[in-house]
Amino acid sequence: MLRFLALRVLLVIPVLFGLLVLTFVLVRVVPNDPSAALAGQNATPQQVAEIRAKYGFDRPLVVQFGIYVRQVLQGDFGTSIQSGRRVSVDILQRLPATLELTFAALLLGAGLGIPLGVLAAVRHNGWLDHALRVFTVGGIAIASFWFAIMLQLLFAMQLDVLPLRGRLSPIVDAPPHLTGLYLIDSLVTGTWTTFGNAVRHLVLPAVTLSFGALATITRFTRSGVLETLQKEYVTYATAVGYPRRVLIAVYVLRNSLVATVTQIGLLFGALLAGAVVVESIYDWPGIGSYAVQAIFTSDYKAILAVTLLVGAVYSVVNIVVDVVHGLIDPRVAEQL
Amino acid sequence: MKTVTKLLSVVAVLVLLAGVAPAAAQSTLVWGDNLPANLDPHALYDVPSSFIQLNVYDNLYRYEGNPPKMKPWLAESHTASKDGKTWEFKVRKGATFHDGTEITAEDVVYSFKRQVGMNKAAAGPFKAANVASVTASDKYTVKFQLEKPYAPFLSIVPILFVVNKKQIDPNVKGDDWGFGWLASNSAGSGAYVVDPSNYIPQKQLTLKRYAKHFSGWGHNQKPVDVVKAVEIAETATRVNALIKGEVDIGDSYLPTDQVERLQKTKDVVVQRNESMRIFVIRMNNAKPPFDNVSFRRCLSHAFNYQGFIGDILKNYAERNPAPIPKNLWGYPEGVKGYDFDLKKAQAECDKAKAAGAPVGREIQLHYQAQLDQTKQAGELFQSDLKKIGLNVKLITDTWPNLTTATGKPETSPDMWIHWVSAYFIDPENWVGTMYDSALHGTWKASSYYKNPKVDELLRSARSVTSQAERTKFYQDAAKQVVDDAADIWVYNTVELRGVRARVKGFKFSPVGSGNELRWLSVN
Repeated sequence: MLRFLALRVLLVIPVLFGLLVLTFVLVRVVPNDPSAALAGQNATPQQVAEIRAKYGFDRPLVVQFGIYVRQVLQGDFGTSIQSGRRVSVDILQRLPATLELTFAALLLGAGLGIPLGVLAAVRHNGWLDHALRVFTVGGIAIASFWFAIMLQLLFAMQLDVLPLRGRLSPIVDAPPHLTGLYLIDSLVTGTWTTFGNAVRHLVLPAVTLSFGALATITRFTRSGVLETLQKEYVTYATAVGYPRRVLIAVYVLRNSLVATVTQIGLLFGALLAGAVVVESIYDWPGIGSYAVQAIFTSDYKAILAVTLLVGAVYSVVNIVVDVVHGLIDPRVAEQL
Repeated sequence: MKTVTKLLSVVAVLVLLAGVAPAAAQSTLVWGDNLPANLDPHALYDVPSSFIQLNVYDNLYRYEGNPPKMKPWLAESHTASKDGKTWEFKVRKGATFHDGTEITAEDVVYSFKRQVGMNKAAAGPFKAANVASVTASDKYTVKFQLEKPYAPFLSIVPILFVVNKKQIDPNVKGDDWGFGWLASNSAGSGAYVVDPSNYIPQKQLTLKRYAKHFSGWGHNQKPVDVVKAVEIAETATRVNALIKGEVDIGDSYLPTDQVERLQKTKDVVVQRNESMRIFVIRMNNAKPPFDNVSFRRCLSHAFNYQGFIGDILKNYAERNPAPIPKNLWGYPEGVKGYDFDLKKAQAECDKAKAAGAPVGREIQLHYQAQLDQTKQAGELFQSDLKKIGLNVKLITDTWPNLTTATGKPETSPDMWIHWVSAYFIDPENWVGTMYDSALHGTWKASSYYKNPKVDELLRSARSVTSQAERTKFYQDAAKQVVDDAADIWVYNTVELRGVRARVKGFKFSPVGSGNELRWLSVN
């Protein structure tokens, strides 16, 4: 197991390097000069040329890449052209917002998706199964930006029961910084008003982001449970009168979740990527909206750092998924 | 299970309670316009940066009102030598920075050196003015010595914002002039001070009132104590936030349909102010067939000005057929410009074709991805040009891409669409910087128009001090540029900004687009 883990961690390095090369080339081959963005609006060509020379943008791309990789290896992601701050500072400030949103969406997706999937399988071909099929197809097909706007119009504008945007109301102060996750920080420090306000702000973005994940998890759980229900040991247990609820909750579910867990791992990456859209619409101050801003302003070091971060998180989550596989299914652990 | 139920009940109560807005001890206003990329007043030179510059910093002179008038601000007065090369400003005594340090002439000198030394966009106007030296003659006198007379000098003085050297010095790293620190902090003397503790670039910013501001608060009995500024990326979300009351003031770049939504909202007032922001479709005069004046005239006759202003913008704009805002001195009165007439357009295009211009080639028109109006104008133009056999390809683009591309005539787009805002109030800001061939390579001069007669007129306008003479030079230059159809000038902006009814005292000036907070109060 340990050997397997070490190998997987080592494999992450070339993956991330490849990602870095690809992103660097894509960002820099477009006819786009970071020195113009750095000089600012209304700068003269001479000012832009001086800045180009000062920051080394006039050197060959390979040399620039080499310098950048060396900096990254030293933990230096450079300075944002726009904010004037270290990119790492910008990202660390925004990352908790994205993590909070992504975890909330994942919890919602898995927390509802697994029971719904079980229900659909148990009531196979019943009205609930059909209703859930419609629901899940919708969840996969509906574009998140459209869904987000509809939820905003209904719950924030028409019914006026939830806030429209942001992580907190502007007039509510953020909780004292511990983790950067507002729900946890406000709970730990006992700032209850902030906690409630943060929960209300989290509802719509989390529901939007989780919709697709919820649908996928429901479908995978349903097919996993259906397949397990056909196994002989289930037939035997049912024949000898084993309580059905216990049988499904303890034995069937555990043996059906392997595919679902893999999907949850993949979905985590998809949710991080999906946050780009959801954060922009709900004005969520996370790394998704940061990435969008960086793209529109050619802030290439910010773009590279966000890409690298998402890639790293995705790789780590995949390793975690492999480990969880082993925990769920001892046969898998033996093969590792 | 019972414990879980109890916990969920507590959470539910807290969530419900949180729906009630907590009582604020101080008056708070939520500002919902775009925020600048960073907070350094010398690093940026665009409309969003004026929010920081005008509220957190002070300048020697300041533009106020509409039409904007220069008003002594940190300076009490100024004198200029007869030859227009020496300018002296008397700094007001007793004005203090936010840390209590008195502002002196040395701070003004340092601010100038910093602005020019950082060499970012805001340095441009002072470089154009050829300032030879800036010195402190005494504690309260600053002297600017120019290499040669530069008539618009006084009008660019408000671009210089005074920073506190004492606060910046300990934060300087290498040759960064303290940018790494000032980009997310403040070192000013303005009516509001930045609270850096919860600042997220281009997302949220808190400003607190500086009670000891030199101008006092006599002009506003109930000033806003705390301003929470939030940037809302999506237009629809921004407007909804204003309607719902989550923000008190919105932005002034709204599409007309959104303005109409705001007008129907009971508690929102739409502030309507004629600005000095010209909407222009640029043509790359250096590229065939745009190097042919008949072809440019053909295009100038093919844009449906009234259709765009009347039907799409619902008349929230005023036709402005020349490269100087209609409401500014120097505007060439009597210039009719070009009307929408496809027959005239066809005739001009035929003339260009007869002269050998490659009229049939595909024309690329770039619009700005985040600004809907540029796309609307592009689509309208595309459909009318098709009627006279011209094939236009619309290309979505971003501001950094465009400003890079416009650096060279060969990479500059065939056509692109943008506004020219009021950075300083002088025709130089428009016709001067757009059509002097010495400025080719800047986005403002991206038409690559070259006419020695216009160059001469513009340079003369900079070198004489009499406004009457300057007016004549700018008028003649503008007439010539219009005759040459260098670009397509569409309208002068009427700025429409949604403001919640509880906000009182909103004052607009084309410089800063009404971004000054010190006038505002909230019920």
